[in-house]
Amino acid sequence: MPRKLGVSIVLAVLVILALLVPELGGDYYVHVFALVFTNVILAASLRPSLTCGQLNIGHSAFMSIGAYTSALLAKNLAVPFEIALLCGALLAAAVGLAIGYPSLRLRGVYFAMVTVAFVEVIRLIAQLWVSLTRGMSGLSGIPKPSLLGMTLTTRASQYYLVVGLAVVILLVLWKLEHSRLGLIWKSIGMGDNLAQSLGVNIARHKLLAFMLGCFFAGTAGAFYAHFIRFLFPPEFGFLMATNILVYNYVGGRGHFVGPILGAIFLSLLSEPFRGSPYETIFFSIAMLLTILFLPGGLITLPGKLAELKRWRAAASPTPSPAA
Amino acid sequence: MTFALFVQSAIVGVSLGSIYILMALGLTLMFGMMHIINFAHGAVYMLGAFVIYYIFFQGGAPYFAAFVASMILLGVFGYLVERSIYRPIKGGIEPTLVALLALTTFLQAAGYPVFGQLDKHVPPVFPGTRNILGVGISVERLMIIPVAAALVIALYLFINKTRLGAAMRAIEQDKEAAALQGVNVHVVNGLAFAIGFALAAASGALMAPIFKLDPMMGEQPLLKAFIIIILGGLGSVPGAILGGLMLGLIDSIVATALGAEPAFLLSFVFIIMLLLFRPTGLFGYAS
Repeated sequence: MPRKLGVSIVLAVLVILALLVPELGGDYYVHVFALVFTNVILAASLRPSLTCGQLNIGHSAFMSIGAYTSALLAKNLAVPFEIALLCGALLAAAVGLAIGYPSLRLRGVYFAMVTVAFVEVIRLIAQLWVSLTRGMSGLSGIPKPSLLGMTLTTRASQYYLVVGLAVVILLVLWKLEHSRLGLIWKSIGMGDNLAQSLGVNIARHKLLAFMLGCFFAGTAGAFYAHFIRFLFPPEFGFLMATNILVYNYVGGRGHFVGPILGAIFLSLLSEPFRGSPYETIFFSIAMLLTILFLPGGLITLPGKLAELKRWRAAASPTPSPAA
Repeated sequence: MTFALFVQSAIVGVSLGSIYILMALGLTLMFGMMHIINFAHGAVYMLGAFVIYYIFFQGGAPYFAAFVASMILLGVFGYLVERSIYRPIKGGIEPTLVALLALTTFLQAAGYPVFGQLDKHVPPVFPGTRNILGVGISVERLMIIPVAAALVIALYLFINKTRLGAAMRAIEQDKEAAALQGVNVHVVNGLAFAIGFALAAASGALMAPIFKLDPMMGEQPLLKAFIIIILGGLGSVPGAILGGLMLGLIDSIVATALGAEPAFLLSFVFIIMLLLFRPTGLFGYAS
């Protein structure tokens, strides 16, 4: 099958390129690309929830839970990185259950509003619980990530860790999306009344999709904590939550690759003005333009261009004399 | 907590609640007609306050004129948002929500280069305090209550007594049927956007002399308004009014006793509990 072969070749080239980053670029590029892969995990983990038609505008809160849990366990109790990361992800999923269970039974807008408010709740807790999180002074001195007792001291090794995490998580999410569960999620997103009438327990499946997203967001957060080694409550605010949503929309909602493409494209393009208001301005304009002019996202761009070409060719079968 | 402190925080609570009601009414009106939540409401509140800063404080115009200007300018902005964002998306709820979210973050972020990094302050419009039940209350805060009440009554009369108000109610009941009866759905939706934005601008304009101004100032009132409409039930006007008063009182009394942040955390826990046991809010209806 040539199509399948083509896909495999493209994937192989991408993986090789990703693995070559530390060889080709300096520490700056390694740092930037490690964050790109963190964003890829965040964007892709929001997809199951969005597929169910649930607008989760609070994904950064779950990243924050994973980050703080893992950082505090490793720092205060000397828990090994792998276990700390898992605990962070599990706690994020458990909190997702507590927030999702009451609000997912309702119409989507309730859920959207609850998740927005929840970002603020988590930020306030991180800010006010000074004895645990150090509040607005920020949590520093987080141990570097380690694997099987070996500390990953170099930037490059930490980068390989996040690439590995991203590959595993993307594989899991891809498998799920193409399983029976993925079909159910899709059916809920397309029409939840209809899905319910066919015997799908929609509340439970929405909750599952949401918790899965929280789990992986917690994982990304835990990696982030041990990679940056400094946590500051406002970092995981409303802006980061919207950015994760923007990756999904700008990349494209219709295909698994959409959020990945969106995260890579936007994180790299916005890199020159990271941390300034212009980053947000850039993101919001990209979002508005995509929704208004390319509702399917970047992944539909080649198709649209081909359509435009065909349409042009059909409109002027003979070269116009003016040209 | 002494009696005097209680009276004081209760009155401040009602005044705060009036602001929340103005915010929540616009949101609930737009939800009732278009089934969208205006995420840009907080940013509009912020712009409403900045209009007061520039026209009243910098421009030297009378406060009342600046207040009306703020409502009109942002009302027009609301109509334009309907034209340029809501209408082209053609009723897709999720894309509209995301577009409004993008508009919010854009307005907030653009606020820093445009308005400057430093917090702005508007001098008091009604300085001094008034003695009520032996307690001194700032006149500035007291004045919010009659102004907000007048706006709520005006909105009530507009919706229930005018032809355009009837058209809005018709769309709320059934959009297609309203269109078949000759209601221009686009224009009336635009009007709902204009009214919602104008009310948010009014809230910001009323709060401008009380709080400091910065591009993120709308975030808290927006979250409060969300909590109110979850509390009161989406699309319910009495729910928005009662919810607004309740949250204003909780905010002021709990904030006086424990601090502002615990008050917010408490109200969030409260709505999660409410959603567990009464999912459609206190006054909402299942749909």
